[in-house]
Amino acid sequence: MSRKINLTLKVWRQKNASSSGRFETYEAKGIDTDASFLEMLDVVNEQLEKRGVEPIAFDHDCREGICGMCGAVVNGMAHGPEKETTLCQLHMRKFKDGDTITIEPWRANGFPIVRDLVCDRSAFDRIISAGGFIGVRTGQAPEAHSVPVGKDKADWAMDAAECIGCGACVAACPNASAMLFVSAKVTHLNVLPQGQPEKNKRVLGMVSQMDAEGFGNCSNHYECEAACPKGISVKNIAKMNRDYLAAAIKA
Amino acid sequence: MITKLAPFFRSSVFKKQLVAITGLILVGFIIVHLAGNFIIFLGPDAFNHYSATLHAVPELLWIARVILIVAAIVHIYFTIVLTIENRKSGGAGRYAVKTTHGETNFAKKFMILTGLLLFFFLFLHLADFTLGEKTVEQTTLKGVDLGLYGLVWNSFLNPFRVVVYLAAVWCVGMHLSHGIQSMFQSIGFYHNRYTPQIRSASLVLGAVIAAGFSLIPVVIIVRHLMGGPTV
Ligand code: HEM
Ligand code: FES
Repeated sequence: MSRKINLTLKVWRQKNASSSGRFETYEAKGIDTDASFLEMLDVVNEQLEKRGVEPIAFDHDCREGICGMCGAVVNGMAHGPEKETTLCQLHMRKFKDGDTITIEPWRANGFPIVRDLVCDRSAFDRIISAGGFIGVRTGQAPEAHSVPVGKDKADWAMDAAECIGCGACVAACPNASAMLFVSAKVTHLNVLPQGQPEKNKRVLGMVSQMDAEGFGNCSNHYECEAACPKGISVKNIAKMNRDYLAAAIKA
Repeated sequence: MITKLAPFFRSSVFKKQLVAITGLILVGFIIVHLAGNFIIFLGPDAFNHYSATLHAVPELLWIARVILIVAAIVHIYFTIVLTIENRKSGGAGRYAVKTTHGETNFAKKFMILTGLLLFFFLFLHLADFTLGEKTVEQTTLKGVDLGLYGLVWNSFLNPFRVVVYLAAVWCVGMHLSHGIQSMFQSIGFYHNRYTPQIRSASLVLGAVIAAGFSLIPVVIIVRHLMGGPTV
């Protein structure tokens, strides 16, 4: 049964990349507990518009937890307190009437803030361009058994490929490191036979682009894994470390 | 060669791997050191004999020392570089609400602090037991010159020194509770079954190492209060 709850929101407002932001406090009245977090923000934005206040800018697209566009730090946690849940799939029934919710954008030097809760994650695209692909024309889908792939490898690649590139790992990392994202993208190709020819070039290229983007270094806190809405494991980071060391020794 | 290798020494992953490999050398030393120190419980003859054996072949001793000094320098240099970079990346403590996802902890956050405290402690420790000539008063217990055994015994009769040593060895313990499992991850060892066990073992080993080192001053004080060594 849905109920209506009243909340107090403390939201980060920032006009653009160069201005300094600040928290603003808004009352969110009569929020349906069946609403998603983003729908709650929609309702608040309508209320703000009626008062002549600029609505809160936030990123979103699919609203079904698969595109990786949404994301904000809710009460100190990336995508909020629910495990393996994107912000768009977080529901207001997880909050209590009278709660105060603090909403902040991802913060990392690699992700400059564009406006309010929106940050620029194009660093991830540049990391993918540095090797996160197979560099040959593949044509049509091949015959299913023409390239045998072991079940363990196939499962691992699929698990790593679940990464939607939302950036929660960076947001949750005490060092603002992008290792979980990069390792997922390196690993889902590097464990498969199709990824072997460019294995070394891929890991060296993507790590070097990651470093150039100004992300921090991993110091194995494992906050990323706990924050990831897709449950990507730090096992991928270990695999990337191993591939990197092997590539460095061969270089 | 140098220009080909230079990019690796700037890479986040490789720097961390240097920290891990040098960390492994230092952990190896710590464990051997603890085992060696436990010989003190076998009495003055055994302990002084152990010390004499270590010094018997100065060349070997110096090879070991040089390896440890180089490992320590590389470890400290790169951990400082990594820590500075991590502070600059817009990380640590940047959110208004300080809740975490529950994985990080005190030991993980304060690696650089426990590490640097250890580094300063090292000088005190070397001055206490390794460097410089010791007077006969310092090595004499109940009128008998007991060499290094006597020196260690007498040193731990100073409560101030005991407190500093206990703090230092618990810093080692905390550092290693995170460090040992971290080492495996940085080198790239991950196994679905063994990794959770390695993480638990890392915590236990950190505590065991700290408790082991703590035992030495504690036993000396207790035995002193009970009438001292039988010489
Ligand atoms: C008894 C001496 C020491 C031992 C046995 C030791 C051992 C270790 C080990 C095993 C690691 C894990 C490596 C990894 O994460 O892959 C580590 C990490 C670290 N050590 Fe030490 N260490 C010692 C002294 C020091 C000193 C003197 C410093 C001071 C600067 C220091 C600072 C650090 C830091 C900051 C890390 C974390 C690096 C990171 O996560 O990025 N350590 N240590
Ligand atoms: S909006 Fe697509 S994952 Fe949330």
